Amino acid sequence: MNRIVFISKKAVELFILFFLILTVLFFLFRLAPGDPVTRMVDPMLTPEDAAHIIEQMGLDKPLTTQYMIYVKNFFTGNFGFSFHYGEPVARVIMARLPCTLLLFTTSTLLAALAGVFLGKISAWKKGSRMDGVLSISALVCHTLFVPWFALMMLWMLGFQVGWFPLGGIISPELWIEDAPFGLKVLDVIHHMILPLLTLFIIHVGSYLLLMRSSMLSVLKEDYILTARAKGLTDRVIRNRHAAKNAALPVVTSVGLSLAFSINGGALTEQIFTWPGIGRELIFAVSNNDYPLAQGCFLLIAAVVLSANFIVDLLYAWLDPRIHY
Amino acid sequence: MKTMLSSADITSIDLYHTWVRVRLKAFFMITVFMVFCLLSCQEKSTKEILKIGLPEEPRTLNVWLASDSNSWKILSQIYQPMYLRDPDTLELIPWLAKDMPVLDRENMSYLVTLKAAKWSDGTPFTAHDVAFTAGVFHDFKVPRYYSKWKAVEKIEVVDDHTVRFFLKKPSAIILSRVFTAPMVSQKRWQPVVDAALKTRKPLRTLQNHKIESPLGTGPFVLSQYQKGTFIYMEKNPRFFGTGRTMAHRRLGPWVDGVIYRMYGTGDVAILALQKGEIDMYWWGIQPGYVAQLTQTPDIELFHNHKSALYFMGFNVRKAPFDDRALRRAVATLIDKEFIVTRLLQNYGIAMHSIVPPGNAFWHNRDVPRYSEGLNRDQRIAKAHDLLKQAGYTWETPPVDENGNIQTARNIRLPNGNPMEKMIILTPPADYDPKRAFAGMMIQEWMREMGIPAFARPMSFGALLDKVKGKHDFDAFVLGYGRLNLDPDYVRTFFYSKNDKPRGWNMSGYKNPLFDDLANRQRAEMDRNRRRELLIEMQRIILDDVPYIPLYNPDILEASSRKRFNGWVESLEGIGNIWSLCMVKPVTATELNP
Repeated sequence: MNRIVFISKKAVELFILFFLILTVLFFLFRLAPGDPVTRMVDPMLTPEDAAHIIEQMGLDKPLTTQYMIYVKNFFTGNFGFSFHYGEPVARVIMARLPCTLLLFTTSTLLAALAGVFLGKISAWKKGSRMDGVLSISALVCHTLFVPWFALMMLWMLGFQVGWFPLGGIISPELWIEDAPFGLKVLDVIHHMILPLLTLFIIHVGSYLLLMRSSMLSVLKEDYILTARAKGLTDRVIRNRHAAKNAALPVVTSVGLSLAFSINGGALTEQIFTWPGIGRELIFAVSNNDYPLAQGCFLLIAAVVLSANFIVDLLYAWLDPRIHY
Repeated sequence: MKTMLSSADITSIDLYHTWVRVRLKAFFMITVFMVFCLLSCQEKSTKEILKIGLPEEPRTLNVWLASDSNSWKILSQIYQPMYLRDPDTLELIPWLAKDMPVLDRENMSYLVTLKAAKWSDGTPFTAHDVAFTAGVFHDFKVPRYYSKWKAVEKIEVVDDHTVRFFLKKPSAIILSRVFTAPMVSQKRWQPVVDAALKTRKPLRTLQNHKIESPLGTGPFVLSQYQKGTFIYMEKNPRFFGTGRTMAHRRLGPWVDGVIYRMYGTGDVAILALQKGEIDMYWWGIQPGYVAQLTQTPDIELFHNHKSALYFMGFNVRKAPFDDRALRRAVATLIDKEFIVTRLLQNYGIAMHSIVPPGNAFWHNRDVPRYSEGLNRDQRIAKAHDLLKQAGYTWETPPVDENGNIQTARNIRLPNGNPMEKMIILTPPADYDPKRAFAGMMIQEWMREMGIPAFARPMSFGALLDKVKGKHDFDAFVLGYGRLNLDPDYVRTFFYSKNDKPRGWNMSGYKNPLFDDLANRQRAEMDRNRRRELLIEMQRIILDDVPYIPLYNPDILEASSRKRFNGWVESLEGIGNIWSLCMVKPVTATELNP
């Protein structure tokens, strides 16, 4: 199939899928029990007050009318105002997105790089002591319970040893005193090390195991035998022939992980008080802040769909045997 | 075209890889070294800045939108009311007002004289600001305020510092609900209000207005706000209270500023307090932390009562819960002491009336106490008697012919039909373990009587939708964490007209006698006569028990005494404006006595 036709078809598919997600999200939130006012347990709030708030939020209109307004607003780039923040949804998301991307994208990339490297070594030295240590460590990392591990990291390195701050992304004192820009950057890095290390340890295991398993099956291929017969060095066979082909499933996994990194990790963000999008997503869903929840989910859907699309294209580039 | 690599190529690749590794190591080490050096070499500020931890970020600094407690922790330092509660007596005292309001019974009006206060930008606070604030509440029907301010017919600005409120009819809640509302600056808000009134949804426009630098008369002004990370508030040099003595305290603020930092979990906030990252955590801590914190020498624990009510409610709109005898029997079966000692770990009290005992003036001590002082067998025997007299029967009764307690089976209603499964809705354990476990314990106590009760935790939103919105439930366990000190909520919770979707009469209780008393107390301007009415209202409720008051947890708070002291304890703990006006840096003598 022609590449341009493939891309066009895929783009149309993605658009239809995205529109379906848009619609499902709208009805899913509104059909859930309660509304944004239900959770306000305040005896000062009378039923008349509640009705007034509902009317001002536009939730008193029939569902179909609300849906038409929602679709129209979406296509005009208007995501509405958060019910609780009283701010445009785009502004709320954009304020948190950089923090999430900074932490989760960095941790995914670092974990993937380390996982690929260690997985390659582990598979190459299959059965050795190093393979045993790496595989067991990877399994342990992979099965760690995130909240417990994050708290332990904070307790050990943040509290007992005191090397790192106990949360947040910056030290208020530096910003109040208007410290030099370089110092502020270092301060952010200082705050980032602990959550980054936690996420790295949690994720590196899965990439290592994936790479190891993929590499082991590649090492059985005929072309590896051919490469050996040609007299190539172990390093060249491992790095240029085996690892490149074995990395394909890891690329898919990293691509999707990078896409999903946009929604952050609510638990990690909560424990490290990282001002990311994951906490907002949980807040928006549990408090029926429809515009904010929809905005967050639509962003995630858009990024995941795009990442899938890119991974499809990347596959063909990495493996010449794949044709459209 | 691919070519074979020569050994020279491979050697150069190896060298390159080694070089890259060396550079990466060097970069990493230099970065770590710089971080530690630079962070430790910072010059310490000479300012005395108090650091307070918050459990969540304030949702908004828009005074018209704010409804969450964390937003109000910040806003209450900026926007001030005319009257405020004395932290010791809990009585209202003049704050922005100069004296107590003067009631003119003939004209049904209150005359309020204002202090010579200034907004933080230096402009004077005047009676025009009061009238303007009232106008916004009224014109925009601002939720939570409008229903109370409706009682005010008109406001007359007598002069710059005197304002008269004309009431439509006598209203007892004017002082506690109207005069305690936060005041805003006309100069700052007039253009916003004018623009909002021209829109299709004026209230929403007003609530969505972005606030960059709120203008208030309070002890602190917003200096910096980094979303999601911290809020820095500086001392307001124009605060009207500075140097004055109010509630027997000479007010500051005595600190240069306050940094509010957010902590995602209580565990981390406690660690931050112990480490010295914060001086106080503005949130109740769990009793489980007490042992750990008492071992930390610099930590001071505060233990205060709350104005709260946690209760079990019945849906009295339907059988068999419309039967007072059944409700009384359930009230008898509940072992409140067990709840207090086991669930609250003795950090709380058993509740017997709707108004908490901490609100001493309005609390009725003489309401029926169904299970107090009874052991398990006595409770079962008493509940059995109550139900037997009302016509309930059992296949196996809880008390045999010899008066011995046994496992009851298959209770039957007075009409002979078996009692159907009864669901007790509770919030989930991750939201509030105390309420979830209280529900489970009540289920067990009711089963001892043969009542087929089942506790069902469900998401908080879904629970409220069923209980408050659709009225589709049998019984529930809920609570109010911060009840207003004015007990008008007794009326709100049980007034028959509030039995409607989203109304606060969730039980659907209807009693003309109670309604009459409720209306009278609302219009009663004499405090002592109003008290008598409210005492009687509490007695009626505990006689009919649409709600069974369960417990009132104490508030436990912690602060570090290493840098600051002078926290003011009150009914709701040390997190209050009085503390922020009174906290002082620790002197060398205090530190090393």
